[in-house]
Amino acid sequence: MIEISFLALGVLVLLLSFGVPLPFCFGGGLMVMVLVGGATMKGTMLWGFSQLANPVLLCIPLFVFAGTVMSESGIAESLLRFVNFFVGRIRGGLGVVASVSCAIIGAISGSGLTGVAATGPLLIPEMARKGYPRGYATALVANSSILGLLIPPSVTMIIYGWVTDTSIVACFLATVGPGLLITFNFSVVNLVLARRFPLVLDPPMPRREAARECVSRTGRALPALIMPAIILGGIYGGIMTPTEAAAVAVVYAIPVGFMIYKGLTFRSFLKAGKESATAVGAIMIMIIFSLMLSQIFVMEDVPQAMVDGVFEITTNKTLLLILINLLLFFVGMIVNDVTAIILIAPLLLPLMEAIGISPIHFAAIMGVNTAMGGVTPPYASILYLGMRIGEVEFTEVIKPAMTLILFGYVPVVFLTSFWPDLALFLPTLAGFN
Amino acid sequence: MERAFQYTLTLLIGAVAAMVFAQVILRYVLEAPLMGLEEMLVYPTLWLYVLGSINASRENTQISANVLEVFARTARTKLAIRAVASVATVGISIWLTWWAWDYFRYSLRVWKESPTLYIPTFYAESALFIGLSCMTIYAAGHMVRNVRALIAGTGEKES
Repeated sequence: MIEISFLALGVLVLLLSFGVPLPFCFGGGLMVMVLVGGATMKGTMLWGFSQLANPVLLCIPLFVFAGTVMSESGIAESLLRFVNFFVGRIRGGLGVVASVSCAIIGAISGSGLTGVAATGPLLIPEMARKGYPRGYATALVANSSILGLLIPPSVTMIIYGWVTDTSIVACFLATVGPGLLITFNFSVVNLVLARRFPLVLDPPMPRREAARECVSRTGRALPALIMPAIILGGIYGGIMTPTEAAAVAVVYAIPVGFMIYKGLTFRSFLKAGKESATAVGAIMIMIIFSLMLSQIFVMEDVPQAMVDGVFEITTNKTLLLILINLLLFFVGMIVNDVTAIILIAPLLLPLMEAIGISPIHFAAIMGVNTAMGGVTPPYASILYLGMRIGEVEFTEVIKPAMTLILFGYVPVVFLTSFWPDLALFLPTLAGFN
Repeated sequence: MERAFQYTLTLLIGAVAAMVFAQVILRYVLEAPLMGLEEMLVYPTLWLYVLGSINASRENTQISANVLEVFARTARTKLAIRAVASVATVGISIWLTWWAWDYFRYSLRVWKESPTLYIPTFYAESALFIGLSCMTIYAAGHMVRNVRALIAGTGEKES
Protein backbone atom coordinates (compact mmCIF):
# COMPACT_ATOMS: atom_id res chain seq x y z
CA MET A 1 0.00 0.00 0.00
CA ILE A 2 2.96 2.35 0.63
CA GLU A 3 3.94 1.91 -3.04
CA ILE A 4 0.41 2.87 -4.11
CA SER A 5 0.57 5.94 -1.86
CA PHE A 6 3.76 7.03 -3.61
CA LEU A 7 2.06 6.34 -6.95
CA ALA A 8 -0.78 8.62 -5.84
CA LEU A 9 1.77 11.32 -4.92
CA GLY A 10 3.40 10.85 -8.35
CA VAL A 11 0.04 11.25 -10.10
CA LEU A 12 -0.64 14.36 -8.01
CA VAL A 13 2.69 15.92 -9.05
CA LEU A 14 2.13 14.95 -12.71
CA LEU A 15 -1.33 16.53 -12.79
CA LEU A 16 0.03 19.59 -11.03
CA SER A 17 2.78 19.96 -13.66
CA PHE A 18 0.20 19.86 -16.44
CA GLY A 19 -1.69 22.74 -14.83
CA VAL A 20 -4.72 20.77 -13.61
CA PRO A 21 -6.43 22.90 -10.90
CA LEU A 22 -5.12 21.90 -7.49
CA PRO A 23 -8.40 20.49 -6.05
CA PHE A 24 -8.51 18.04 -8.96
CA CYS A 25 -4.81 17.16 -8.55
CA PHE A 26 -5.66 16.00 -5.05
CA GLY A 27 -8.76 14.35 -6.55
CA GLY A 28 -6.46 12.46 -8.95
CA GLY A 29 -4.39 11.24 -6.01
CA LEU A 30 -7.60 10.11 -4.31
CA MET A 31 -8.65 8.26 -7.47
CA VAL A 32 -5.42 6.25 -7.39
CA MET A 33 -5.86 5.41 -3.71
CA VAL A 34 -9.47 4.30 -4.25
CA LEU A 35 -9.28 2.59 -7.65
CA VAL A 36 -5.83 1.00 -7.29
CA GLY A 37 -5.33 0.87 -3.53
CA GLY A 38 -8.89 -0.07 -2.59
CA ALA A 39 -9.32 2.78 -0.09
CA THR A 40 -12.91 3.73 0.70
CA MET A 41 -14.43 7.05 -0.40
CA LYS A 42 -17.77 6.81 1.41
CA GLY A 43 -16.78 7.84 4.91
CA THR A 44 -13.83 9.88 3.69
CA MET A 45 -15.95 12.33 1.70
CA LEU A 46 -18.38 12.74 4.59
CA TRP A 47 -15.48 13.38 6.97
CA GLY A 48 -13.66 15.74 4.57
CA PHE A 49 -16.63 18.01 3.95
CA SER A 50 -17.62 18.14 7.61
CA GLN A 51 -14.12 19.44 8.47
CA LEU A 52 -14.90 22.67 6.61
CA ALA A 53 -17.53 23.55 9.17
CA ASN A 54 -14.75 24.09 11.72
CA PRO A 55 -15.14 27.67 13.06
CA VAL A 56 -11.34 28.09 13.09
CA LEU A 57 -11.29 28.09 9.27
CA LEU A 58 -13.87 30.85 9.21
CA CYS A 59 -11.24 33.44 10.06
CA ILE A 60 -9.74 32.96 6.56
CA PRO A 61 -12.64 34.48 4.56
CA LEU A 62 -13.15 37.16 7.19
CA PHE A 63 -9.49 38.27 7.28
CA VAL A 64 -9.31 38.16 3.48
CA PHE A 65 -12.52 40.20 3.20
CA ALA A 66 -11.39 42.78 5.78
CA GLY A 67 -8.02 43.13 4.02
CA THR A 68 -9.63 43.49 0.58
CA VAL A 69 -12.12 46.07 1.84
CA MET A 70 -9.31 48.09 3.45
CA SER A 71 -7.22 47.81 0.30
CA GLU A 72 -10.14 49.00 -1.87
CA SER A 73 -10.63 51.90 0.56
CA GLY A 74 -7.33 53.48 -0.44
CA ILE A 75 -5.46 53.07 2.84
CA ALA A 76 -2.18 52.51 1.01
CA GLU A 77 -1.70 56.19 0.17
CA SER A 78 -2.20 57.29 3.78
CA LEU A 79 0.18 54.61 5.08
CA LEU A 80 2.85 55.44 2.51
CA ARG A 81 2.66 59.17 3.32
CA PHE A 82 2.84 58.35 7.03
CA VAL A 83 5.95 56.15 6.75
CA ASN A 84 7.50 58.50 4.17
CA PHE A 85 7.37 61.36 6.67
CA PHE A 86 9.88 59.58 8.93
CA VAL A 87 12.32 58.15 6.37
CA GLY A 88 11.49 59.87 3.08
CA ARG A 89 14.20 62.51 3.31
CA ILE A 90 17.15 60.14 3.67
CA ARG A 91 18.91 58.65 0.66
CA GLY A 92 17.09 55.41 -0.19
CA GLY A 93 14.32 56.31 2.24
CA LEU A 94 11.55 55.64 -0.26
CA GLY A 95 12.77 52.04 -0.53
CA VAL A 96 12.49 51.73 3.25
CA VAL A 97 8.95 53.11 2.94
CA ALA A 98 8.16 50.21 0.59
CA SER A 99 9.41 47.56 3.05
CA VAL A 100 7.80 49.04 6.14
CA SER A 101 4.48 49.89 4.45
CA CYS A 102 4.18 46.36 3.07
CA ALA A 103 4.81 44.96 6.55
CA ILE A 104 2.04 47.18 7.95
CA ILE A 105 -0.35 46.28 5.12
CA GLY A 106 0.53 42.63 5.83
CA ALA A 107 -0.71 43.16 9.37
CA ILE A 108 -4.01 44.30 7.89
CA SER A 109 -4.54 41.93 4.98
CA GLY A 110 -2.74 38.66 5.75
CA SER A 111 -1.87 38.19 2.10
CA GLY A 112 1.08 39.01 -0.15
CA LEU A 113 -0.92 39.84 -3.25
CA THR A 114 -2.88 42.55 -1.41
CA GLY A 115 0.37 44.29 -0.44
CA VAL A 116 1.67 44.54 -3.99
CA ALA A 117 -1.79 45.40 -5.38
CA ALA A 118 -2.30 48.18 -2.84
CA THR A 119 1.16 49.75 -2.73
CA GLY A 120 2.51 48.94 -6.21
CA PRO A 121 0.41 51.40 -8.25
CA LEU A 122 1.47 54.24 -5.92
CA LEU A 123 5.01 53.32 -4.95
CA ILE A 124 6.53 52.04 -8.17
CA PRO A 125 5.82 55.17 -10.29
CA GLU A 126 6.84 57.40 -7.35
CA MET A 127 10.13 55.51 -6.90
CA ALA A 128 10.79 55.67 -10.65
CA ARG A 129 10.11 59.44 -10.59
CA LYS A 130 12.63 59.85 -7.76
CA GLY A 131 15.39 58.07 -9.72
CA TYR A 132 15.07 54.38 -8.76
CA PRO A 133 15.29 52.02 -11.77
CA ARG A 134 11.74 50.81 -12.46
CA GLY A 135 12.78 47.13 -12.40
CA TYR A 136 14.40 47.61 -9.00
CA ALA A 137 11.36 49.45 -7.60
CA THR A 138 9.09 46.64 -8.78
CA ALA A 139 11.36 43.96 -7.32
CA LEU A 140 11.53 45.75 -3.97
CA VAL A 141 7.76 46.26 -3.70
CA ALA A 142 7.02 42.65 -4.76
CA ASN A 143 9.61 41.21 -2.36
CA SER A 144 8.41 43.39 0.50
CA SER A 145 4.81 42.33 -0.14
CA ILE A 146 5.59 38.76 0.90
CA LEU A 147 5.84 40.15 4.43
CA GLY A 148 2.05 40.00 4.34
CA LEU A 149 2.43 36.23 4.66
CA LEU A 150 4.63 36.53 7.74
CA ILE A 151 3.23 39.42 9.74
CA PRO A 152 0.03 38.24 11.48
CA PRO A 153 -2.74 37.64 10.69
CA SER A 154 -1.41 35.30 8.02
CA VAL A 155 -3.70 33.06 5.97
CA THR A 156 -0.91 30.50 5.48
CA MET A 157 -0.35 30.24 9.23
CA ILE A 158 -4.07 29.73 9.84
CA ILE A 159 -4.02 26.83 7.38
CA TYR A 160 -0.78 25.42 8.80
CA GLY A 161 -2.19 25.57 12.34
CA TRP A 162 -5.36 23.91 11.22
CA VAL A 163 -3.86 21.05 9.18
CA THR A 164 -1.23 20.24 11.82
CA ASP A 165 -3.47 20.82 14.85
CA THR A 166 -1.16 23.54 16.20
CA SER A 167 -2.28 26.73 17.96
CA ILE A 168 -2.92 29.36 15.26
CA VAL A 169 -2.10 32.12 17.73
CA ALA A 170 1.32 30.53 18.34
CA CYS A 171 1.89 30.10 14.59
CA PHE A 172 1.12 33.79 14.05
CA LEU A 173 3.80 34.70 16.60
CA ALA A 174 6.37 32.27 15.16
CA THR A 175 6.71 34.22 11.90
CA VAL A 176 6.85 37.70 13.48
CA GLY A 177 10.61 37.51 14.27
CA PRO A 178 11.60 36.33 10.78
CA GLY A 179 9.19 38.85 9.21
CA LEU A 180 10.65 41.80 11.13
CA LEU A 181 14.20 40.65 10.34
CA ILE A 182 13.35 40.48 6.63
CA THR A 183 11.87 44.01 6.80
CA PHE A 184 15.12 45.18 8.41
CA ASN A 185 17.27 43.31 5.84
CA PHE A 186 15.36 44.70 2.87
CA SER A 187 15.70 48.21 4.30
CA VAL A 188 19.47 47.82 4.78
CA VAL A 189 20.05 46.16 1.38
CA ASN A 190 17.99 48.94 -0.20
CA LEU A 191 19.99 51.68 1.55
CA VAL A 192 23.22 50.10 0.27
CA LEU A 193 21.94 49.61 -3.30
CA ALA A 194 20.33 53.08 -3.41
CA ARG A 195 23.80 54.68 -3.21
CA ARG A 196 24.32 53.73 -6.87
CA PHE A 197 21.09 55.37 -8.08
CA PRO A 198 20.83 59.05 -9.13
CA LEU A 199 18.09 59.82 -6.59
CA VAL A 200 16.10 63.03 -6.21
CA LEU A 201 15.55 63.72 -2.49
CA ASP A 202 12.74 65.80 -0.96
CA PRO A 203 13.98 69.18 0.37
CA PRO A 204 14.18 69.43 4.18
CA MET A 205 11.01 70.76 5.82
CA PRO A 206 10.98 73.65 8.34
CA ARG A 207 10.43 72.41 11.88
CA ARG A 208 7.00 73.99 12.33
CA GLU A 209 5.73 72.71 9.01
CA ALA A 210 7.18 69.27 9.77
CA ALA A 211 5.28 69.10 13.06
CA ARG A 212 2.05 70.09 11.34
CA GLU A 213 2.63 67.55 8.58
CA CYS A 214 3.43 64.84 11.13
CA VAL A 215 0.12 65.39 12.95
CA SER A 216 -1.82 65.52 9.68
CA ARG A 217 -0.29 62.35 8.20
CA THR A 218 -0.56 60.41 11.46
CA GLY A 219 -4.21 61.40 11.80
CA ARG A 220 -4.93 60.28 8.25
CA ALA A 221 -3.13 56.93 8.74
CA LEU A 222 -4.58 56.28 12.20
CA PRO A 223 -7.82 54.52 11.14
CA ALA A 224 -5.74 52.05 9.09
CA LEU A 225 -3.20 51.58 11.88
CA ILE A 226 -5.97 50.88 14.40
CA MET A 227 -7.04 47.78 12.47
CA PRO A 228 -3.97 45.63 13.24
CA ALA A 229 -4.18 46.91 16.80
CA ILE A 230 -7.77 45.62 17.04
CA ILE A 231 -6.89 42.26 15.48
CA LEU A 232 -3.65 41.59 17.31
CA GLY A 233 -4.70 43.29 20.55
CA GLY A 234 -7.95 41.32 20.54
CA ILE A 235 -6.24 37.99 19.96
CA TYR A 236 -3.14 38.39 22.16
CA GLY A 237 -5.00 40.29 24.84
CA GLY A 238 -7.00 37.09 25.28
CA ILE A 239 -10.21 38.99 24.49
CA MET A 240 -11.23 37.28 21.25
CA THR A 241 -10.49 34.22 19.16
CA PRO A 242 -8.89 34.82 15.72
CA THR A 243 -12.28 34.22 14.04
CA GLU A 244 -14.01 36.77 16.27
CA ALA A 245 -11.18 39.27 15.73
CA ALA A 246 -11.56 38.78 11.97
CA ALA A 247 -15.31 39.52 12.15
CA VAL A 248 -14.65 42.66 14.21
CA ALA A 249 -12.05 43.68 11.60
CA VAL A 250 -14.67 43.34 8.82
CA VAL A 251 -17.22 45.38 10.76
CA TYR A 252 -14.54 48.03 11.44
CA ALA A 253 -13.21 48.10 7.86
CA ILE A 254 -16.55 48.73 6.12
CA PRO A 255 -17.45 52.13 7.67
CA VAL A 256 -13.78 53.18 7.61
CA GLY A 257 -13.69 52.45 3.87
CA PHE A 258 -17.02 54.15 3.09
CA MET A 259 -16.91 57.12 5.43
CA ILE A 260 -13.31 57.91 6.43
CA TYR A 261 -11.12 57.02 3.44
CA LYS A 262 -14.11 57.22 1.08
CA GLY A 263 -12.32 55.04 -1.48
CA LEU A 264 -14.89 52.29 -1.02
CA THR A 265 -17.95 52.50 -3.24
CA PHE A 266 -20.90 50.13 -3.43
CA ARG A 267 -19.46 48.71 -6.64
CA SER A 268 -15.96 48.18 -5.17
CA PHE A 269 -17.54 46.70 -2.03
CA LEU A 270 -19.37 44.11 -4.15
CA LYS A 271 -16.14 43.44 -6.04
CA ALA A 272 -14.28 42.97 -2.74
CA GLY A 273 -16.94 40.53 -1.52
CA LYS A 274 -16.87 38.49 -4.71
CA GLU A 275 -13.08 38.44 -4.98
CA SER A 276 -12.60 37.45 -1.33
CA ALA A 277 -15.22 34.67 -1.53
CA THR A 278 -13.78 33.35 -4.80
CA ALA A 279 -10.22 33.30 -3.46
CA VAL A 280 -11.39 31.53 -0.31
CA GLY A 281 -13.63 29.11 -2.22
CA ALA A 282 -10.67 28.05 -4.37
CA ILE A 283 -8.65 27.35 -1.21
CA MET A 284 -11.45 25.53 0.61
CA ILE A 285 -12.31 23.10 -2.17
CA MET A 286 -8.62 22.25 -2.35
CA ILE A 287 -8.53 21.76 1.41
CA ILE A 288 -11.40 19.21 1.28
CA PHE A 289 -9.66 16.90 -1.17
CA SER A 290 -6.17 17.37 0.26
CA LEU A 291 -7.54 16.53 3.71
CA MET A 292 -9.21 13.41 2.37
CA LEU A 293 -5.98 12.31 0.69
CA SER A 294 -3.94 13.09 3.82
CA GLN A 295 -6.39 11.10 5.92
CA ILE A 296 -5.97 8.07 3.67
CA PHE A 297 -2.17 8.52 3.78
CA VAL A 298 -2.25 8.66 7.58
CA MET A 299 -4.38 5.49 7.70
CA GLU A 300 -1.80 3.83 5.43
CA ASP A 301 1.03 5.08 7.69
CA VAL A 302 2.74 6.99 4.85
CA PRO A 303 4.22 9.82 7.00
CA GLN A 304 5.84 7.25 9.33
CA ALA A 305 7.18 5.30 6.32
CA MET A 306 8.69 8.55 5.04
CA VAL A 307 10.35 9.18 8.42
CA ASP A 308 11.78 5.64 8.44
CA GLY A 309 12.92 5.97 4.83
CA VAL A 310 14.68 9.28 5.46
CA PHE A 311 16.30 7.99 8.67
CA GLU A 312 17.75 5.07 6.72
CA ILE A 313 19.65 7.65 4.66
CA THR A 314 20.65 10.02 7.46
CA THR A 315 19.69 11.08 10.98
CA ASN A 316 21.91 14.18 10.95
CA LYS A 317 19.62 17.05 12.04
CA THR A 318 21.64 19.79 10.29
CA LEU A 319 21.73 17.90 7.00
CA LEU A 320 18.02 17.09 7.23
CA LEU A 321 17.15 20.72 7.93
CA ILE A 322 19.18 21.85 4.90
CA LEU A 323 17.48 19.20 2.73
CA ILE A 324 14.03 20.18 3.99
CA ASN A 325 14.74 23.86 3.33
CA LEU A 326 15.82 22.96 -0.22
CA LEU A 327 12.70 20.83 -0.69
CA LEU A 328 10.46 23.64 0.55
CA PHE A 329 12.31 26.11 -1.66
CA PHE A 330 11.69 23.97 -4.76
CA VAL A 331 8.06 23.28 -3.81
CA GLY A 332 7.59 27.04 -3.27
CA MET A 333 8.98 27.63 -6.75
CA ILE A 334 6.27 25.53 -8.41
CA VAL A 335 3.17 25.94 -6.21
CA ASN A 336 1.73 28.79 -4.16
CA ASP A 337 2.15 29.15 -0.39
CA VAL A 338 -1.21 27.70 0.64
CA THR A 339 -0.80 24.65 -1.60
CA ALA A 340 2.74 24.04 -0.37
CA ILE A 341 1.54 24.02 3.23
CA ILE A 342 -1.44 21.75 2.57
CA LEU A 343 0.72 19.40 0.53
CA ILE A 344 3.85 19.24 2.67
CA ALA A 345 3.03 20.12 6.30
CA PRO A 346 1.12 16.94 7.28
CA LEU A 347 3.68 14.72 5.54
CA LEU A 348 6.81 16.37 6.95
CA LEU A 349 5.69 17.24 10.47
CA PRO A 350 6.28 13.71 11.87
CA LEU A 351 9.83 13.83 10.46
CA MET A 352 10.43 17.26 11.96
CA GLU A 353 9.17 16.15 15.36
CA ALA A 354 11.38 13.08 15.14
CA ILE A 355 14.46 15.32 14.79
CA GLY A 356 13.33 17.58 17.62
CA ILE A 357 11.73 20.47 15.72
CA SER A 358 8.51 21.60 17.38
CA PRO A 359 5.38 22.20 15.27
CA ILE A 360 5.56 25.93 16.11
CA HIS A 361 9.17 26.16 14.94
CA PHE A 362 8.25 24.23 11.80
CA ALA A 363 5.44 26.75 11.19
CA ALA A 364 8.07 29.49 10.93
CA ILE A 365 10.34 27.35 8.71
CA MET A 366 7.44 26.59 6.37
CA GLY A 367 6.17 30.17 6.53
CA VAL A 368 9.46 31.80 5.43
CA ASN A 369 10.18 29.19 2.75
CA THR A 370 6.73 29.19 1.17
CA ALA A 371 6.53 33.00 1.31
CA MET A 372 9.83 33.18 -0.59
CA GLY A 373 8.20 30.96 -3.22
CA GLY A 374 5.88 33.86 -4.06
CA VAL A 375 8.78 35.75 -5.65
CA THR A 376 10.86 32.88 -7.02
CA PRO A 377 10.00 31.82 -10.61
CA PRO A 378 8.49 29.89 -12.28
CA TYR A 379 5.52 30.18 -9.85
CA ALA A 380 6.16 33.72 -8.62
CA SER A 381 2.60 35.06 -8.45
CA ILE A 382 3.52 38.10 -6.35
CA LEU A 383 6.49 39.02 -8.56
CA TYR A 384 4.40 38.61 -11.73
CA LEU A 385 1.63 40.81 -10.33
CA GLY A 386 4.30 43.39 -9.43
CA MET A 387 5.62 43.24 -13.01
CA ARG A 388 2.13 43.87 -14.38
CA ILE A 389 1.61 46.83 -12.06
CA GLY A 390 5.13 48.21 -12.60
CA GLU A 391 4.92 47.64 -16.36
CA VAL A 392 8.38 46.10 -16.50
CA GLU A 393 9.81 43.06 -18.26
CA PHE A 394 11.00 39.93 -16.50
CA THR A 395 14.60 40.67 -17.55
CA GLU A 396 14.49 44.05 -15.77
CA VAL A 397 13.10 42.69 -12.51
CA ILE A 398 14.80 39.33 -12.06
CA LYS A 399 18.31 40.58 -11.18
CA PRO A 400 17.26 43.01 -8.42
CA ALA A 401 14.67 40.48 -7.19
CA MET A 402 17.34 37.79 -6.85
CA THR A 403 19.73 40.25 -5.13
CA LEU A 404 17.05 41.07 -2.56
CA ILE A 405 16.23 37.39 -2.06
CA LEU A 406 19.88 36.43 -1.70
CA PHE A 407 20.85 39.16 0.78
CA GLY A 408 17.52 39.94 2.40
CA TYR A 409 15.66 36.66 2.48
CA VAL A 410 17.97 33.63 2.32
CA PRO A 411 19.90 34.54 5.52
CA VAL A 412 16.59 34.69 7.40
CA VAL A 413 15.51 31.31 5.99
CA PHE A 414 18.64 29.72 7.44
CA LEU A 415 18.49 31.68 10.69
CA THR A 416 14.87 30.56 11.17
CA SER A 417 15.93 26.93 10.79
CA PHE A 418 19.15 26.97 12.82
CA TRP A 419 18.39 29.62 15.44
CA PRO A 420 15.08 28.43 16.93
CA ASP A 421 14.81 31.44 19.26
CA LEU A 422 14.12 33.69 16.27
CA ALA A 423 10.85 31.83 15.75
CA LEU A 424 10.16 30.61 19.27
CA PHE A 425 10.98 33.67 21.37
CA LEU A 426 7.56 35.32 21.03
CA PRO A 427 5.48 32.09 21.27
CA THR A 428 7.44 31.10 24.40
CA LEU A 429 6.91 34.57 25.85
CA ALA A 430 3.17 34.17 25.25
CA GLY A 431 3.19 30.81 27.03
CA PHE A 432 3.29 28.41 24.07
CA ASN A 433 5.86 25.64 24.34
CA MET B 1 -24.15 35.81 -14.00
CA GLU B 2 -21.32 38.06 -12.84
CA ARG B 3 -23.78 40.31 -11.03
CA ALA B 4 -25.56 37.31 -9.43
CA PHE B 5 -22.26 36.01 -8.04
CA GLN B 6 -21.23 39.48 -6.84
CA TYR B 7 -24.44 39.96 -4.86
CA THR B 8 -24.74 36.38 -3.55
CA LEU B 9 -21.13 36.06 -2.46
CA THR B 10 -21.02 39.50 -0.85
CA LEU B 11 -24.30 38.79 0.91
CA LEU B 12 -23.01 35.45 2.22
CA ILE B 13 -19.63 36.76 3.42
CA GLY B 14 -21.37 39.77 4.95
CA ALA B 15 -23.92 37.54 6.70
CA VAL B 16 -21.18 35.33 8.11
CA ALA B 17 -19.23 38.36 9.39
CA ALA B 18 -22.40 39.86 10.87
CA MET B 19 -23.32 36.63 12.67
CA VAL B 20 -19.85 36.22 14.21
CA PHE B 21 -19.79 39.91 15.17
CA ALA B 22 -23.25 39.63 16.73
CA GLN B 23 -22.04 36.73 18.84
CA VAL B 24 -18.98 38.77 19.93
CA ILE B 25 -21.25 41.57 21.14
CA LEU B 26 -23.68 39.17 22.77
CA ARG B 27 -20.94 37.15 24.48
CA TYR B 28 -18.44 39.81 25.57
CA VAL B 29 -20.51 42.98 25.89
CA LEU B 30 -23.97 41.77 26.87
CA GLU B 31 -22.67 38.52 28.39
CA ALA B 32 -25.63 36.64 26.91
CA PRO B 33 -24.38 34.44 24.05
CA LEU B 34 -27.05 33.22 21.69
CA MET B 35 -27.52 29.45 21.74
CA GLY B 36 -27.32 27.83 18.35
CA LEU B 37 -25.76 30.76 16.48
CA GLU B 38 -22.65 28.69 15.69
CA GLU B 39 -24.95 25.99 14.34
CA MET B 40 -26.71 28.46 12.05
CA LEU B 41 -23.35 29.80 10.92
CA VAL B 42 -22.43 26.47 9.30
CA TYR B 43 -25.01 26.88 6.53
CA PRO B 44 -23.97 30.24 4.99
CA THR B 45 -20.32 29.34 5.60
CA LEU B 46 -20.38 26.08 3.63
CA TRP B 47 -22.40 27.66 0.82
CA LEU B 48 -19.97 30.59 0.78
CA TYR B 49 -17.04 28.20 0.26
CA VAL B 50 -18.84 26.15 -2.39
CA LEU B 51 -20.25 29.11 -4.35
CA GLY B 52 -16.84 30.83 -4.15
CA SER B 53 -15.27 27.74 -5.64
CA ILE B 54 -17.94 27.50 -8.37
CA ASN B 55 -17.16 31.10 -9.26
CA ALA B 56 -13.43 30.29 -9.37
CA SER B 57 -14.26 27.53 -11.89
CA ARG B 58 -16.50 29.89 -13.86
CA GLU B 59 -13.73 32.50 -14.02
CA ASN B 60 -11.12 29.76 -14.57
CA THR B 61 -9.18 31.05 -11.56
CA GLN B 62 -8.88 27.82 -9.59
CA ILE B 63 -5.37 27.55 -8.16
CA SER B 64 -3.02 25.72 -10.53
CA ALA B 65 0.74 25.48 -11.01
CA ASN B 66 1.22 25.28 -14.84
CA VAL B 67 4.82 24.08 -14.49
CA LEU B 68 5.09 22.46 -17.95
CA GLU B 69 3.63 25.51 -19.70
CA VAL B 70 6.55 27.58 -18.44
CA PHE B 71 8.97 25.29 -20.28
CA ALA B 72 6.83 24.86 -23.42
CA ARG B 73 8.50 26.59 -26.37
CA THR B 74 5.72 26.77 -28.94
CA ALA B 75 2.15 28.00 -28.68
CA ARG B 76 0.94 24.65 -29.96
CA THR B 77 2.71 22.75 -27.16
CA LYS B 78 1.07 25.10 -24.66
CA LEU B 79 -2.33 24.45 -26.22
CA ALA B 80 -1.73 20.70 -26.10
CA ILE B 81 -0.73 20.87 -22.41
CA ARG B 82 -3.86 22.91 -21.63
CA ALA B 83 -6.06 20.46 -23.53
CA VAL B 84 -4.60 17.44 -21.66
CA ALA B 85 -5.00 19.27 -18.33
CA SER B 86 -8.61 20.19 -19.02
CA VAL B 87 -9.51 16.63 -20.14
CA ALA B 88 -7.94 15.27 -16.93
CA THR B 89 -9.79 17.91 -14.88
CA VAL B 90 -13.15 16.92 -16.33
CA GLY B 91 -12.48 13.19 -15.82
CA ILE B 92 -11.49 13.64 -12.18
CA SER B 93 -14.30 16.12 -11.57
CA ILE B 94 -16.90 13.64 -12.89
CA TRP B 95 -15.51 10.94 -10.62
CA LEU B 96 -15.61 13.25 -7.59
CA THR B 97 -19.12 14.40 -8.47
CA TRP B 98 -20.24 10.80 -8.62
CA TRP B 99 -19.00 10.28 -5.03
CA ALA B 100 -20.55 13.60 -3.99
CA TRP B 101 -23.84 12.26 -5.39
CA ASP B 102 -23.43 9.20 -3.16
CA TYR B 103 -22.90 11.54 -0.18
CA PHE B 104 -25.93 13.62 -1.26
CA ARG B 105 -28.17 10.53 -1.35
CA TYR B 106 -26.84 9.37 2.03
CA SER B 107 -27.51 12.80 3.54
CA LEU B 108 -31.03 12.85 2.09
CA ARG B 109 -31.76 9.34 3.38
CA VAL B 110 -30.43 9.85 6.91
CA TRP B 111 -31.86 13.40 7.23
CA LYS B 112 -29.77 14.38 10.25
CA GLU B 113 -30.68 17.48 12.24
CA SER B 114 -28.45 19.96 14.08
CA PRO B 115 -28.36 19.33 17.85
CA THR B 116 -29.86 22.60 19.17
CA LEU B 117 -32.03 24.11 16.47
CA TYR B 118 -32.96 20.89 14.65
CA ILE B 119 -32.11 22.35 11.23
CA PRO B 120 -31.64 19.52 8.70
CA THR B 121 -27.92 19.25 7.91
CA PHE B 122 -28.88 18.22 4.37
CA TYR B 123 -29.24 21.93 3.50
CA ALA B 124 -25.51 22.37 4.08
CA GLU B 125 -24.33 18.91 2.99
CA SER B 126 -26.08 19.13 -0.38
CA ALA B 127 -23.73 22.01 -1.29
CA LEU B 128 -20.88 19.65 -2.16
CA PHE B 129 -22.80 17.73 -4.84
CA ILE B 130 -24.35 20.89 -6.30
CA GLY B 131 -20.98 22.63 -6.23
CA LEU B 132 -19.05 19.80 -7.86
CA SER B 133 -21.74 19.40 -10.53
CA CYS B 134 -21.46 23.08 -11.46
CA MET B 135 -17.66 22.91 -11.39
CA THR B 136 -17.76 19.90 -13.72
CA ILE B 137 -19.98 21.80 -16.16
CA TYR B 138 -17.63 24.82 -16.15
CA ALA B 139 -14.60 22.52 -16.47
CA ALA B 140 -16.25 20.83 -19.46
CA GLY B 141 -16.80 24.26 -21.03
CA HIS B 142 -13.10 25.12 -20.60
CA MET B 143 -12.17 21.69 -21.99
CA VAL B 144 -14.23 22.24 -25.15
CA ARG B 145 -12.62 25.65 -25.67
CA ASN B 146 -9.10 24.28 -25.12
CA VAL B 147 -9.59 21.29 -27.42
CA ARG B 148 -11.13 23.53 -30.10
CA ALA B 149 -8.20 25.93 -29.81
CA LEU B 150 -5.78 23.03 -30.19
CA ILE B 151 -7.60 21.71 -33.25
CA ALA B 152 -7.87 25.19 -34.74
CA GLY B 153 -4.15 25.71 -34.14
CA THR B 154 -3.41 22.46 -36.03
CA GLY B 155 -5.73 23.44 -38.84
CA GLU B 156 -4.05 26.80 -39.26
CA LYS B 157 -0.62 25.17 -39.49
CA GLU B 158 -1.76 22.46 -41.87
CA SER B 159 -3.40 24.94 -44.19
